[in-house]
Amino acid sequence: MQPIESMPRLALLAALALSGAALAAPVRTPHVEAELAAERTTIVPGEPLTVALRLKMIPGWHTYWRNPGDAGEPTRIEWRLPAGFEASEIYWPYPQRIPVGPLAAYGYEGDVMLLSRLTPPSDLPVSRAVTLSAHARWLVCKEQCIPEDAELELTLPTASDGAEDPRWAKPIATARAALPAPPAAFAGWAIGARGEPGGATLMLRPPAGVPLEGVAFFPFEQGKIEPAAAQPFAWADGAFRLKLSAAAQPVGEFTRLAGVLVSPRGFGPSTTARAVTIDVPIEGQVTPALPAPVAAPAAANLGLALALALAFAGGLILNLMPCVLPVLSVKVLGFAGQRAADARTRRRHGLVYAAGVIASFWLLAGVLLAARALGGELGWGFQLQSPVAVAVLALFFLALALNLSGVFEVGTFLPDRAARWRSANPALDWFGSGVLAVLVASPCTAPFMGAALGYAIGEAGWRAFAVFTALGVGMALPYALLAWFPAWLERLPRPGRWMIRLKQLLALPLYGTVGWLAWVLGEQAGARAVASLAAALALLAVAAWLAGAFTAPARRGLVAALAALAIAVAIPGSDTAAPGPRGAPAWEPFSAAQVAALAGEGKPVFVDFTAAWCLTCQVNKHLVLANDEVVQAFRARGVALVRADWTLRDDEITRALAALGRSGVPTYVLYRPGRAPVLLPEVLTRDRVLAALDG
Amino acid sequence: MKRNALALSFVLALIALPAAAATVGQAAPDFTASDLQGKAVRLADFRGKFVVLEWTNPECPYVRRHYNSGNMPSLQKEVAAKDVVWLAINSTSQASGEFKTPAEMSKWLADKGAAPRATVLDQDGKIGRLYQARTTPHMYVIDPQGRLVYAGAIDDQRWASTEETKAARNYVRAALGEAMSGKPISVATTSPYGCSVKY
Repeated sequence: MQPIESMPRLALLAALALSGAALAAPVRTPHVEAELAAERTTIVPGEPLTVALRLKMIPGWHTYWRNPGDAGEPTRIEWRLPAGFEASEIYWPYPQRIPVGPLAAYGYEGDVMLLSRLTPPSDLPVSRAVTLSAHARWLVCKEQCIPEDAELELTLPTASDGAEDPRWAKPIATARAALPAPPAAFAGWAIGARGEPGGATLMLRPPAGVPLEGVAFFPFEQGKIEPAAAQPFAWADGAFRLKLSAAAQPVGEFTRLAGVLVSPRGFGPSTTARAVTIDVPIEGQVTPALPAPVAAPAAANLGLALALALAFAGGLILNLMPCVLPVLSVKVLGFAGQRAADARTRRRHGLVYAAGVIASFWLLAGVLLAARALGGELGWGFQLQSPVAVAVLALFFLALALNLSGVFEVGTFLPDRAARWRSANPALDWFGSGVLAVLVASPCTAPFMGAALGYAIGEAGWRAFAVFTALGVGMALPYALLAWFPAWLERLPRPGRWMIRLKQLLALPLYGTVGWLAWVLGEQAGARAVASLAAALALLAVAAWLAGAFTAPARRGLVAALAALAIAVAIPGSDTAAPGPRGAPAWEPFSAAQVAALAGEGKPVFVDFTAAWCLTCQVNKHLVLANDEVVQAFRARGVALVRADWTLRDDEITRALAALGRSGVPTYVLYRPGRAPVLLPEVLTRDRVLAALDG
Repeated sequence: MKRNALALSFVLALIALPAAAATVGQAAPDFTASDLQGKAVRLADFRGKFVVLEWTNPECPYVRRHYNSGNMPSLQKEVAAKDVVWLAINSTSQASGEFKTPAEMSKWLADKGAAPRATVLDQDGKIGRLYQARTTPHMYVIDPQGRLVYAGAIDDQRWASTEETKAARNYVRAALGEAMSGKPISVATTSPYGCSVKY
C-alpha cells in the first residue's frame, strides 16, 4: 500500500524473501491475540490466496459467529489492500452454542481462524513485497463484553509460484474443514421443513440409514429461532426430526430455514463435512406459539397458599352442584332418622365420611399423577373419558335412583352373612358414601377448581396432594359439620311420610342424570352403545324390582345374575369409540394450528374447552353460549368460534389446557388481536361473556 | 348473584397479576417494581401515555457508547418534553460483577446527564424475563392503550463508534414519531444488539 522506505525494514524484507517466510506481527489485546496468517508463503499474481484472521481468546472468553445469537456482535474485517486486490467475505467456521444465563450466544471459544480469499491482480509485478492490512474489530465476552480492535498487517513476497506455509497451512486446512459444506453435500437426502404453532420441524432422511445424533441448527439471521431453546432431535415416522422453537420476538418473515446444520459425528459417508449449509423453504406457516393468556402463568405461579384456598372453596361449592346435591341431601336426611344415635357415633360417621371423600381424591390424584409421570396426557375428568366408566356410572345412578324411589332396599338382597357384617361395620358404609360423593361429583367442575387443579397438575408430589386434600376437605366439611353439631336437627319436622316423599322426589334428578349419561355415551361411542346401555338399564330395573318384591333368599341368585348380566350387556357395547360429528356448525373443531391461524388473521377467537360428560360445560353451553344475545355478540364482532371437545381422550387438547394452566374442563379463553388473551370463569354468565367481548 | 360475580372477578383479577410474555401487537405485560428511591413504579399507572422501556447496564460498552456520546440522555430529554414516560431497567443479577447498588446507579445516571422518569433495579430478572430482554440496550415502546408497539434495537448502527451513533436511524425515535402522528409503525421489531443481559 505505501512504499517501504526505511532501510531496516527493507533489509528485513530481503531476508524474508530469501527465507520464504511471511512477516506478520500478532497484536495482543487484554483478551485476544490477533494476527493475519496466509496459507502460502508468497503472493502469486492472479491466484487467490487464503488468509486467516486468527483470534486466540483467553480461556472462558468468546467471540461471535456471523449470527451472534441472543446478543453480541460478529467479528468484522475491513481490508486495506493494494490496488487491484479483491477480498471475499469472511468464510465462517461453524459455531458452537455458548449458554449465557438464560440466553445463548453463537460463537467461538479458544482459537478461531476466520478465512478470507484475497485475489491479487494478474498483472501484479513479481518480486515485490506486498503488505496486506486489515482493521479487525470484534466483541469479546465472558461475564463482561469488551469491544476490541487491531490494525493488522501481513507482508508477503510476490513470486510466480510459492509453497505452503509450514506454520499456517495445516491450521488453515483444519479451519477449512470446519467450514459448512454447500447444500450439494446433501444430494440424495430428503430434506424438508414444516411450520407449526411455535416453531418449525426440519425433516432429514439420509439415503442409506446413516445414523445421526446431536444434530443442531444455527440460523443465519437473528429473530427466527430462540437461540437458547433446546432442539430435540429424534427419529420418527421415517425421518430424523429436529424441532426448532420460533423466536419469542420474531423479526421479519420466517419462511425458510437458512443456516448451518451441524452434526458432531458428521453426516455419513457421502461427505466429510461436519456442517452443511441449508436453505429449505418452510411448508405451512410458522405461527407464533399461542400467547399464554393473562391468567395462565398465574395458575403455574399461583402459589401453594392461593391454590389451597381455591381448592377448598371449590370443594365447598361442589356440594351445591347438581350432581352431588341429591345424593348428599339423602344422606343428610339419614341423620334425621338417626336422631336417636348418640353424638359419638354421629361424629364418627361425619369423620369417616370425610375420610372417604379425601381418600377418593387421593386415589384420583395418585392415578392422575402416576399416569402423567409415565407420559400420559390426562387431566381432571379423565375418569369419564372412558365410555365404559360412563356406562357403569349410568347403571349405578339408576340403582341409586330406584333405591330412593323405594323399589328395593339395599339390605334385603344381601346374603345374611354379608348383611350381618355390614351392620357390624357401619363405618364401611360411611366411608363408602364418601367415595360415592366423589364419584358422582366428577361430571361437575365447581368455580375455582380449574385454577387450583391446574396448579396441582403442574406441581408433582406433595403440593399436588395438598391441593387435592384441600378440595376433599372443602367437599367433606359441610356434611361433617352437620354431623358434628346436631342442633339443627331439632328444627326438622319429626320423621314421617314427608321424608319418604322427599326421598322419592330426590330420585328424579338421578333419573335425569341416567338419561344424560346415556347421551354422553352416545356422543362417545355411538347409538349402538346407547342401545346396549338401554337394555342393561332395563335388566337392572327388573333386578331391582325382583330384589324389592321378593325378599326370599332363593331369589337372590336371580337378582345377582340379572345385575351381572346388565353390566355384561352394557360394557361391550360401550367399548367401541366411534364418535360422530359433534357440535353446532358455527363451531370449528379445535386444533392448535387452526386457533393460531385464526388469531394470525387478526380475528378474535373464542375457544370452548368442553366435554359431553361435563355437566357444568353443558349448562354453560346451553344457557350462555347458545344464548341469543351472546350469539349475536359473537357474530357482530366476527369472533371465530372453536370448540375443543374433550369427551374422549385427546392429547392435543390436554396439552392446550396445560398451556393455559388448566387441567380440566370447562375452560373458556378469548383471544383478541393486540390484547392479552382472557380466561373466563368456569361458571359462565351471559354478562360475563359480553363484558369480556367488550372489555 | 351480582355479588357473586363481583367476588369472582376479584379473584380472577388476583390470579391475573403476573401476565404473559411481551409480544409486539399484544398488551404489554404489567409489572410493579421499586425505583432507586424505593418508590413503587407500576407500568399500568402510565396508561394514557407512551412509555419507553430501556434495558441498561452501566458496565456494558454498548450502553456506555450511547451514554458517553450523549445519544441516550438527549433522547430521554427529547421524549420527556413530549410527555413520554421513560423507564430504565437494570436486570443485572446481584451475583454478577456488574451489579450496581441504587446509589451507584443514581450517581452514574447523574454523571451522564441521564433523564429517565424512573430507574428500576430488577436484580431477580423478573421484568427482564417477562419482556424477554436479551441485550443492553434492548428497547420497548408501549402505546397509551398499553400495547407493545416496538421491541428491539435502539438504532441500526450496531458498531461502537461515536460518529456511527450520530448517523444512526434511531428506531425508538422513529416509532414514537410515527405512533404520535397516528401513522402505523414502519419498523416494529428489530434484532436487539449489545451485551447480553447479566441475569
